[in-house]
Amino acid sequence: MASATTSTAAPARPAAARRERSRTVPGWVWALPPVAVLGLVFLYPLGLVVQESLAPGAYASVFASASFRDALLTTVWLALGATVGCLVLGFVLALIVAFVPFPGAKAVSRFIDVFLSFPSFLITLALLFVYGTVGMANGLWTGATGAAEGPFHFLTTPWGVLLAEITYFTPFVMRPLLAAFSQLDTAQLEVASSLGARPARIVRRVILPEALPALAAGGSLVLVMCLNEFGIVLFTGAKGVTTLPMLVYSKAILESDYAAACVVAVVNVAISVGLYGLYRVVSKRAGA
Amino acid sequence: MTSGIRFDAVSVAYGDTTVLDALTLTVEPGEVMALLGPSGSGKTTALRTVAGFVRPRSGRVHIGDRDVTDLPPYKRGIGMVVQQYALFPHLRVDENVAFGLKARKHPRAEIPGRVAEALEMTGMAAYARRHPRELSGGQQQRVAIARALAIRPDVLLLDEPLSALDAQLRSGMLAELARLHRELPDVSILYVTHDQVEALTLADRIAVMDRARLQDCGTPQELYRRPRTEFTASFVGNANLLPVRVTAGGAELAGTALELPTDGAAPGSSATLCVRPHLVGLGAGPNALTGRIAEVQWRGATHRLYVDVGGHRVKADVRELRETPPLGSEVTLHFAPEDAVLLAAGVNDG
Amino acid sequence: MLVHSRTGRAASWALFAVLFVPLFAVPLLVILAASFSTHWSGAFPSGPTAGHYTAAVRGESLQALTTSLVTAAAASALALTLGTWAALAAAALRGRGRRLLDALFVLPLAVPSVVVGLAVLVAFSRPPILLNGTRWIVILAHTVLVTAFAHQSVSAAIRRLDPMYEQAAAGLGARPWYVLLRVKLPLLLPSLGAAAGLCFALSMGELSATMMLYPPDWMPLPVLVFTATDRGSLFTGSALAVVLMATTLLVLLAVSRIRTKATYR
Repeated sequence: MASATTSTAAPARPAAARRERSRTVPGWVWALPPVAVLGLVFLYPLGLVVQESLAPGAYASVFASASFRDALLTTVWLALGATVGCLVLGFVLALIVAFVPFPGAKAVSRFIDVFLSFPSFLITLALLFVYGTVGMANGLWTGATGAAEGPFHFLTTPWGVLLAEITYFTPFVMRPLLAAFSQLDTAQLEVASSLGARPARIVRRVILPEALPALAAGGSLVLVMCLNEFGIVLFTGAKGVTTLPMLVYSKAILESDYAAACVVAVVNVAISVGLYGLYRVVSKRAGA
Repeated sequence: MTSGIRFDAVSVAYGDTTVLDALTLTVEPGEVMALLGPSGSGKTTALRTVAGFVRPRSGRVHIGDRDVTDLPPYKRGIGMVVQQYALFPHLRVDENVAFGLKARKHPRAEIPGRVAEALEMTGMAAYARRHPRELSGGQQQRVAIARALAIRPDVLLLDEPLSALDAQLRSGMLAELARLHRELPDVSILYVTHDQVEALTLADRIAVMDRARLQDCGTPQELYRRPRTEFTASFVGNANLLPVRVTAGGAELAGTALELPTDGAAPGSSATLCVRPHLVGLGAGPNALTGRIAEVQWRGATHRLYVDVGGHRVKADVRELRETPPLGSEVTLHFAPEDAVLLAAGVNDG
Repeated sequence: MLVHSRTGRAASWALFAVLFVPLFAVPLLVILAASFSTHWSGAFPSGPTAGHYTAAVRGESLQALTTSLVTAAAASALALTLGTWAALAAAALRGRGRRLLDALFVLPLAVPSVVVGLAVLVAFSRPPILLNGTRWIVILAHTVLVTAFAHQSVSAAIRRLDPMYEQAAAGLGARPWYVLLRVKLPLLLPSLGAAAGLCFALSMGELSATMMLYPPDWMPLPVLVFTATDRGSLFTGSALAVVLMATTLLVLLAVSRIRTKATYR
């Protein structure tokens, strides 16, 4: 090889180098096909939704309607409540799995992974059997007291949705937490407890600071997912609980009022994407 | 065959940090050049400019007669072995070795022969059907070398190839590398290491790097016997570095006149005297220095004496003593004039 | 070990059991139990039967299952191709281009599935592309929804991939294309398998966008579970849900088998 190139005269070299470099396609060209596909199947449809929402009077009439304002309020407080619930519950459960290990703790983490791969509406379906009018809890009550009817009727209220959302989304908080806990140096805990710190103090001063990034990331993810949740609300079948995604569905499919559906969709997307942007920033920090 | 490497004022910078500062160095065809230096000295960066993974901010890199500065790595025709071996875990040993040949569209019929040859050369023929994960560190190292050699490169780049091996394996592999080089006398080797033993054993010449710059370059003997800078003197082998004042026929250390070659240093100027500890003898002789024993370490075949001479600590490695002198006792040391080197003060800071 | 006293540990475990079992374990068990029963009287289900299952693997239900399987397989394959391509292209870029591409491909994660359904419905019910009323609109929406997940897990895997393999290959004379096919993709195979499993599971359980889009002849299993429970056939719904969960798990298991094989090859 070297002997072959020996004959290459010195002045010819820069030209040859330039020719060889120009043959490689710049990197951004390879990014074009996937962007084009995404544009066609996602960005273009989303753009049309925005365009439809701009129909004359659509925003005014939607914003003026009580059902929209109710749905907005319900969506936000359900999402916030569920997020807080998931954070508290997830933190406690992850803490026990990670730091008070018991036989089968591994199986629990495995179970959580499996749980995440199931659709959310299964939870509501199960709750119907547990707390429904003829379900387990009411059955136990009527059996024990002889009353004609059990006391649990919350399933078709926002509280039922809240319970289902906390149940379904808690694993989404536990997973990043368990990952963060597994990286926590156990020597730190041992040193802290050898210095006489009690468990509550160790949790507050050592574990919680380490878990904050994971909590923030998990919490914002759950918040966005709760804002967008549809299956759980649909399955409760409660007329009194309407969230923004539910409103999009009913306006578009049941009432065929596309302009209104698009307005609600735009509002929902604005809230979610804004929060998701926040989540990305937070989780980037957590990763650093 | 003309296949050396030429660095022509090659500089590399990341942002404001210069990691390689105007390196000019020539590796002759068939030569083993060691780039020796501490971590962060720019030696690995220099090697990666040859491989094409780092683009110089300025300067040119030549392999043989080709200016490769603007070529992508896959057009450079180099063989490279890195610290972590980088064997492809999803391929068998023979597939790893064949990788370069297949990637370069080598005639299919010749590939098995070339693979067998490379594995034979590194003593790994019996492991051809294994996967990398089934091999020990030393074996993986041999496969990595076989993979680099299979493409018959003109230039072999070795980036700390032995640093992941334990001490015993390392000396064995060092002998192997020396043998391989004897079998392939035309291949130029650029060998990056922070280990002076590897550099002294294997290299025809050593380029000493520190703080992004080339400090010194020469044969191992030259660098060891006549280092040009304090950095070289202390990094290649052990050294006593003593501040002295140059006189007409030698130098003066803490009031004691010493006789040694001054190489034209101006009398009256300050300089650093470099003398290797094992060339310092115990007892009276030329260039005698008197001081008190500060510490004695037994090192098996030798004793290392630390002696305070007029406020300066002098190290002497002497043959094992039957009776070690007590701490604080007065001893006399000496060294031959030709064993000492005067280093101009401030060369290292340049 | 955080809690050292025996009672403290027992108390922690009791707390865990009290929270975990009713919230997570019971719901799944309840569905399983209900799927084998004819009615639920008092605390426990009664009237054991396997009838729901014999019905669940026949006729309409079987068709819904195959519909779901085909949809999930097609959407996963498309999403994996698109997401992997985008992740690889982004990895080759630097700075702003890379961030822009990554942001574009995670955007579907933040948009509610219902809105994705609505958008796809609005866009493909009009020329130039008319897909409304066909199965393709369902597959398309599922692809959009799971692409972001595929992209995310593949780009995470690419970030974890040690650049030394790529460099070793390039040093041996392999062009970028050859490096991609012979080194990068094989090394990414386990992660691609995981991403495929994730996409498949998500698509199998997708309800929100599907409810907006499904044509009568392409009704996936979750929709059937909903229509069953909506008309009061909770036990049939449970059996269908169990079939859905079991199928998802089986496919995930198979994928993880392939993954371990690939890792130890």
